[in-house]
Amino acid sequence: MSMLKRLPEFSAILQVYAVIAVLLSAWTITAFLWKLSAWLLILNLGEIFTVFSYAMLIDLVESLIVLFILLLVAALLPPRILRDQFVVRGTILALGFVGSLMAFVRFHMEFGIESGVRLLFGPLAVILLTVLLLGLSSKIRFIAPLAVWISDRLTVFLFILVPLFVLLSAYIIFRNIV
Amino acid sequence: MSRLSRRDFLKTSAALVTSATFGGVSRILSAADSQPSSKPNILVFVFDAMSARNLSLYGYPRQTTPNLERFAERASVYHQHYSAGNFTTSGTASMLTGMYPWTHRAFNYRGMIDRMLTDRNFFRLIGEEYTRIAFTQNLWADILLSQFETDLDIHLACDTYSQFAESLIQPADLPADRNLAYYVFQDFLNLRVDDERPYPGSLFLASADLSRAIATDRHHNSNEYPRGLPTNHDFSYQNSSVLGGIASLLQSKVLQSSPYLAYFHLWSPHEPYGARQEFVGIFEEDLKLQPKSRHPLAGNHYSEKSLRKYRREYDEFIADLDAEFGRFLFQLETAGVLQNSYVIVTSDHGELFERGEWGHASALMYAPVTHIPLLISAPGQQSRSDFYSLTCNIDLLPTLLQIADQEIPTWVEGRLLPGFGGTRDASRSIFPMMAKDNAAFRPLKHASLSIIKGPYELFFFTGYPGHPDTFELYNLQEDPNELQDLFGKDITTASQMKDELLEAVNAANRNYQKK
Repeated sequence: MSMLKRLPEFSAILQVYAVIAVLLSAWTITAFLWKLSAWLLILNLGEIFTVFSYAMLIDLVESLIVLFILLLVAALLPPRILRDQFVVRGTILALGFVGSLMAFVRFHMEFGIESGVRLLFGPLAVILLTVLLLGLSSKIRFIAPLAVWISDRLTVFLFILVPLFVLLSAYIIFRNIV
Repeated sequence: MSRLSRRDFLKTSAALVTSATFGGVSRILSAADSQPSSKPNILVFVFDAMSARNLSLYGYPRQTTPNLERFAERASVYHQHYSAGNFTTSGTASMLTGMYPWTHRAFNYRGMIDRMLTDRNFFRLIGEEYTRIAFTQNLWADILLSQFETDLDIHLACDTYSQFAESLIQPADLPADRNLAYYVFQDFLNLRVDDERPYPGSLFLASADLSRAIATDRHHNSNEYPRGLPTNHDFSYQNSSVLGGIASLLQSKVLQSSPYLAYFHLWSPHEPYGARQEFVGIFEEDLKLQPKSRHPLAGNHYSEKSLRKYRREYDEFIADLDAEFGRFLFQLETAGVLQNSYVIVTSDHGELFERGEWGHASALMYAPVTHIPLLISAPGQQSRSDFYSLTCNIDLLPTLLQIADQEIPTWVEGRLLPGFGGTRDASRSIFPMMAKDNAAFRPLKHASLSIIKGPYELFFFTGYPGHPDTFELYNLQEDPNELQDLFGKDITTASQMKDELLEAVNAANRNYQKK
């Protein structure tokens, strides 16, 4: 019970989850649309729907993992560090974490595997920016309202994403059981 | 005798347990209690991208296949054997179904057989009396095998005998949707780091794959493998381990009591050509090749120098594979596995090193990419038989059914091979084709189509943007290098073959025309 008390408010969790889920699923849906034209040559609509469903299930799992990590950190650290400013700092951390993954993969897409460890420059830059924003969020006036505004605006997408995640995950679970 | 490594043993055991879970092995185990059948075992070995044109067995000046030549001394050797496709999907699907690509519709990259036709495969038709085993290292071929999942008793995962996997998740990790698993993971969520234009759908899985690729020496260069371990771009392997694992499987107890049909589709000698050190540099640069000018439909602009280099590396890789396969056959023979077994050696398609093009699956359908080896050794066969009549890999299915004493369905487009009930038919036509960018559900309008009949081969290139529809005609007997285009010269032959090809294409398109 005391652990639950160390967690942020539910509405704050929801706002941060919206940031995570929207970023991850936006990437997946973009990739899906990019692949779609090739799949239309070979797969029927039912098969494409199943592939998309698996992808959404993976997105759901990934988004919950990121949220879980943030909540764990919030619960373990002193409340003033993350829990009390969960929407602002959680949003910045979520943007930074998912953004660094995007930068990592995007750099590979642009420059190829031959670039080796130089592919890490992109995610490192994003992580550095995240640390800077976290540090400055209480000092520069517009950062906190901006983070709140972003998470607030993205929350509306949960009305689409959550039912989508649930329905498609149920479909995949059903396929695997039957 | 080579032994299974602990890793291979665990993988094979896992595969058998998985099969048992879905009912396959329970039938095998119950068969083990029954009386041994008199029917022969059938072993099919497919070497990916092995062109007959590069095998000394078929007269290639470099000694690439001394062991296959030894094997041929007690086998039927087919000299004019062609694949119906010029890359894995179409070539393999035709071999497994006995139908042309325009019928089974698996002619796109990583395509699938028409979902209504998946019961037309030799695993189903050979019957449940046989234990049916399938293993391929080629993920595109595995998509096809996954379509036949209910007809397989043992379906080994592609990476069963591999050493280093590039991706965290492989298709066999999704047993409930194994035929779609490739599209979900390899084609979408995972990152295939060697892809020219990757766009992975999962940031987590892609980052994990990318991190592993950066952290490890992906090519696994070593003194033994100076060009890196052989790899299918998803996992690396050694042919000795793969063939050693297969040999152990074939000697295992579960296969002793009922006849079995075992299909093994190896990645080698597909690129990248990872020959071992002892085979690197074994061939001199003195091969006399007639230069061929770049074809307007060649997708690439490889120089003659590059093509010669790739050809030499390919030849070395074939020689390496041939040595391993020779050892493997000796091992099976010593163990008595071959006593009651037909052994079939073939390929799904060939490889091209000419006209500015390297590899396969391009618009070019010249003989090096469709002319494939076929050797069949019957139990107890002691002498060599050579067959020079035109055959196609769609003929393998009816021939296997004949060997297994099963009825051949009327829908089969292939014929019995000569030596197995088939007769020489000089008027026979075969139709290799490539239509990777044509929707599987639409009529063929963007394709390289061909007809081979007697000594002649006619190509029809249609629907290529910026390139008018064209025909080419060659006499393969007088001009095996396909240098003299006779289309405007031998009008009668050209006209007859053109009409026959177009008629066949129109017939194939009829079911896909918009009503």
